[in-house]
Amino acid sequence: MRRILLLITFALSLVSTWMAFTVGQVVPVEKNITFEKNIVYVHVPSAICSILCFLVLLVAGISYLVTNKPIWDYIGAASAEAALVFSTVLNAAGSIFSRPFWNTWWTPSPRLISSAILWFLCVAYLILRANIQNPRYRARICAVFGIIAFLDVPIIFITARLMTDQHIANVEFESACQRASFGLSILSVALLAALLIWLKTDILKSKAIFEKEFT
Amino acid sequence: MSTMGEIRKDNGTANAVISISGVSKAFSTRLVLNNIDLEIGGTHSVCLFGVNGVGKSTLLRIAAGLLQPDKGVVRICGHDIGREPEKAGPQLGVISHKSMVYPNLTAIENLSFFANLYGVKDGTTRIDKLLNDVGLFSYRFDRAGTLSRGLLQRLAIARALVHRPSVLLADEPFTSLDGEACRHLILVLSDFVKNNGTILMTAHDTKVGLKCCDRVIVLDNGTLILDEMTSDIDIDGFAQDYLSYARAGN
Amino acid sequence: MNYFLLNFKAIFVKDIVTELRAKQVLPTMIVLGMLIVWILRIVSEAASIERTVMASAALWIAFLFAGLLVQERSFAVEQQQDCINALLLTPVDVGTIFLSKLFVNVVMLCIFEIIIVPVVLFSFQLSIPDRWPALIGVLLLGNIGISSIGTLFSATVQFSSSLLSIIVLVVLMPMMIPATFTLLLIFGAVPKELTGTGALAFVGDFNTAVGYLIAFDVVFTAAGWLLFGFVVQE
Repeated sequence: MRRILLLITFALSLVSTWMAFTVGQVVPVEKNITFEKNIVYVHVPSAICSILCFLVLLVAGISYLVTNKPIWDYIGAASAEAALVFSTVLNAAGSIFSRPFWNTWWTPSPRLISSAILWFLCVAYLILRANIQNPRYRARICAVFGIIAFLDVPIIFITARLMTDQHIANVEFESACQRASFGLSILSVALLAALLIWLKTDILKSKAIFEKEFT
Repeated sequence: MSTMGEIRKDNGTANAVISISGVSKAFSTRLVLNNIDLEIGGTHSVCLFGVNGVGKSTLLRIAAGLLQPDKGVVRICGHDIGREPEKAGPQLGVISHKSMVYPNLTAIENLSFFANLYGVKDGTTRIDKLLNDVGLFSYRFDRAGTLSRGLLQRLAIARALVHRPSVLLADEPFTSLDGEACRHLILVLSDFVKNNGTILMTAHDTKVGLKCCDRVIVLDNGTLILDEMTSDIDIDGFAQDYLSYARAGN
Repeated sequence: MNYFLLNFKAIFVKDIVTELRAKQVLPTMIVLGMLIVWILRIVSEAASIERTVMASAALWIAFLFAGLLVQERSFAVEQQQDCINALLLTPVDVGTIFLSKLFVNVVMLCIFEIIIVPVVLFSFQLSIPDRWPALIGVLLLGNIGISSIGTLFSATVQFSSSLLSIIVLVVLMPMMIPATFTLLLIFGAVPKELTGTGALAFVGDFNTAVGYLIAFDVVFTAAGWLLFGFVVQE
């Protein structure tokens, strides 16, 4: 099952990448620049997936607190790591894009600050996890953190609306091909996220069985 | 004398004040408590012996509801401490090797605070009586942080008894106490039992433990290997080396 | 309701009396706040930065760090002599413990601000803003916001294997930034001299921003009240 998912993800990623560089070239509203504009096919799906990973973290947190089953703790930890991966990609892609566009690697615009806070939340989760040794307590406190972190996410983005923003408001898609490649890239990144979470959950489960953390 | 390995149940199991059923607890890879069953009826004082790290404090913390067991149920006066803490909690008084009192509050302030939280109606009268009973009345306006270890332990006892519990859980209450303080504590504990209280305590010093309890239990490798009335055991043999005594099944 | 108020009052009074006698948290956070303000004042002179710009940053940083310090210390009093377990053994609801600790933290932050805001005004030579009652209200909302998350997570300090309580700061800071960020924006709308003049110009309505801050406080206080039991028990 996992191999099938891996193959589908790989195939979709190849197709969406090919489309992004050929038929799906994006022209931003403000300026016409070279290949950097295609960052949107990486940047936006990463943003969406990191939020989705936070959603999984929320569900895992609530489920653990209700059921006390260790599997939800593993899913939570895995989704936090996946969220870290995608928020790193989000921030890095944004930096790569902003350099030629605004002549700066980073600017404290509201959306960029929001993205940075997302990244810090993921890191904070992992630091918290690393500093608690008791497995049951660690699972509980990480579940609580996951719930609070998810509550923070909409607040971060609403904060952004209270301020002026240098960030591009919307990308205009001119053709069906662009929309298709955009949709495909979101789908492939989402599948990649699911795969990462699945893999990491299995690793944590195997590690726990090996260490017999839970009798 | 019981035969090897025989665990004796208390005669009053139908109305057990402390009922520990099938309790297991593991920390990381180590199984500390393995399917412990223990019933203690009213007006009994039970002393739990065991080497360092065997799980005595863990069992007491589980009995107090401060730690969740991996398996099993603890009932205090018939109420499940996990599901009905609001009913089981007020029946419990806990003494630990830490005093569990606030160092920056005076003795009387500490007791008033806990009396308020437990909803003790005649708080002032009760506190004055307790301070007299434990011999702290002249120290009542001293901050807890300035009290000596012996006096602090007396304050801890007063704190544990302020709400008139029916069960007292004491985790190594004699630790670091001098002779005078030990004698005083033994007196307080025996008065508690005389007034229909039940005690489950742990101790290292077998002589002191045997003196204030009428039933002894030995915990070893996650199970109870001895459960006898004090009157039924060879006190000298037990006091010399309780672990060998218990393992031998005498 | 009666029991709730009695227990709430008992824990609140106990914490305030303990802190006033121990004198550990308040002096430390006031000194920390003053140091931050002082250092940033020197930096603004050395780098020729407009002092009104720096004043708002000084207030924000002092508020954030001192606010985190008070959260981190709020459970230190319970760690002494294992008092947290004595508290958990009582029939008091954990939600009540959370709300009373939250209130204690809010009061500590208010005392801190009573001292630090005049220090900022004095150091950066600013005049008292016209809408100062609104500023007080906004700071109070910020205190509640920071304390709601801080009280929830400060209980983890007792179970953390790390000796560095700075871990709590690292964990809490990303969560608190939205609240303090909104405060900064609101400062932009209230006292003109306390605003920065950077790129983060406030475009919203003052009432919207305050409403947003109230929503933040309500959401996180409710979440903390519901989840505190999971954090404080072993």
